[in-house]
This record gives sequence, C-alpha cells and structure tokens, in this order.
Amino acid sequence: MSPRAWITALTAVAAFGRLSLAAADPELPQDMKAVIALQGQPCDKVVSVKRNGDSDYLVSCQDGNRYHVFVDAKGRAVVQKQ
Amino acid sequence: MTRTPPPTQPAPAATEATKAPKRGGSKATAGAAAAGASAPAGGEPPATQPDTARQPPATPALDLASLEQRLRDTHAIGVFTKLSLKNQVDDLVMAFRAFHNKQAGKTLAQLRQQYEGLLLKVLSLLQDGDPSLASAISASREAIWGILTDPQKFSKI
Repeated sequence: MSPRAWITALTAVAAFGRLSLAAADPELPQDMKAVIALQGQPCDKVVSVKRNGDSDYLVSCQDGNRYHVFVDAKGRAVVQKQ
Repeated sequence: MTRTPPPTQPAPAATEATKAPKRGGSKATAGAAAAGASAPAGGEPPATQPDTARQPPATPALDLASLEQRLRDTHAIGVFTKLSLKNQVDDLVMAFRAFHNKQAGKTLAQLRQQYEGLLLKVLSLLQDGDPSLASAISASREAIWGILTDPQKFSKI
C-alpha cells in the first residue's frame, strides 16, 4: 500500500471513529440515564443514544420514553421529553 | 412571601442529620467535626466557649475545595451528569444567596430539603463507582450546610 493510500485510510478511520464516538462510548447510556433521572424524568433503561451534534443527543428508553438531551446556550444540561 | 424565621427551626437539620449514614471519611470527617459547631442543627452550643475560639476558617473551605475537585475528577459520574449536578448546585447557591440577601424566596426549611435532595442524588450516583468520595461527602454533610447557612462563610464561597 502506498503512503498516500495509508494516509487516506487513516483519515477515514479517524473520521469514522469521531462520528461513532457516541455510540462507542459504553458509559454514555449510563450518563444519559443519570441525567434524565436527575431531571425527574422516567427512563428504566436506555436502549439507544443518537448523536445529533456536539453535546446533543436523542435518547430512547426501553419503556418507550424518548428524550432530547442537550446543553443549552447558558451551559445547562436540558432534558426535553419528545 | 412567608419566610419562617430560620433560628427557631433546627428540627429538619437535626432529624436529617440523624438519618445521615455515618461512614468513615478521612479529611472530610475532620472538616465535618470542625464545622459541626457552627451548624445550626447541632446540639446546644457551649455557652462558655467564646466565638473566637471556635473559628477554624481554613478547614471547611479546604475540604469543600477538595471535595469539589474530587467530584470533578471522578469517573463514577459522566460528563452530562456532572454538568446537570453543577446546574443544580448553582441553583441551590443562588437560592441561598437570595435567602441571605433577604429577598423573597425559600425558607431555611425548604433550602434544607433542597440541599438534602441534592446530596442524596450525588450520593446515589457515587455509591457504586466511587464509594470513598461518597463517604467523604456524606461525612461533610453538616460542614457544607454550616457554610451555606452562615452568611459570612457563604460570602467567601
């Protein structure tokens, strides 16, 4: 493999790794569940976390509840029921 | 607009304090003991002891800073959870600021309830992942309350 191909491959791996960081982080569901609970909202178990952007997630719980969890402009962690 | 007079209500703190789990804490225990004298829910203050004799200014502040740093550093709580907790701590501090400034707001009993609720959340989050920090915070419960309720100590945080 040529050096150029190596660089291309590494760049792709790095980019993919960044994009899938949220899904790969094993502690993120637990973090989301704790934040939701801290805001007094129910969520028995987090089944999926979709990353919308920086500090912006859509969380689905096993009991059917879905939440938009994000950091607002004032730096507050916000949990919005969908 | 109905604010209950704080000095006449030591009961909530006293009852909550008795419910608090007593775990061993190293530095925090000393801080709690040191600040326990200034907490409103302690026993009867020794009448013969002058106020100047029971002013350990450095110990509680040092413990608070240490606990804060340990909370920041712990891996038992995720980033979002830490931010959410920080928001709630800030809310509590703002409520205390309003209380000390005699603005319309919460009574001391309500603040105690909010404080205990927040502490309970922190302890439940930490008890599995960082039990030593949970113990230290639990042991500092009254010391932190003493700082929050004392206008002079509160103005320094």
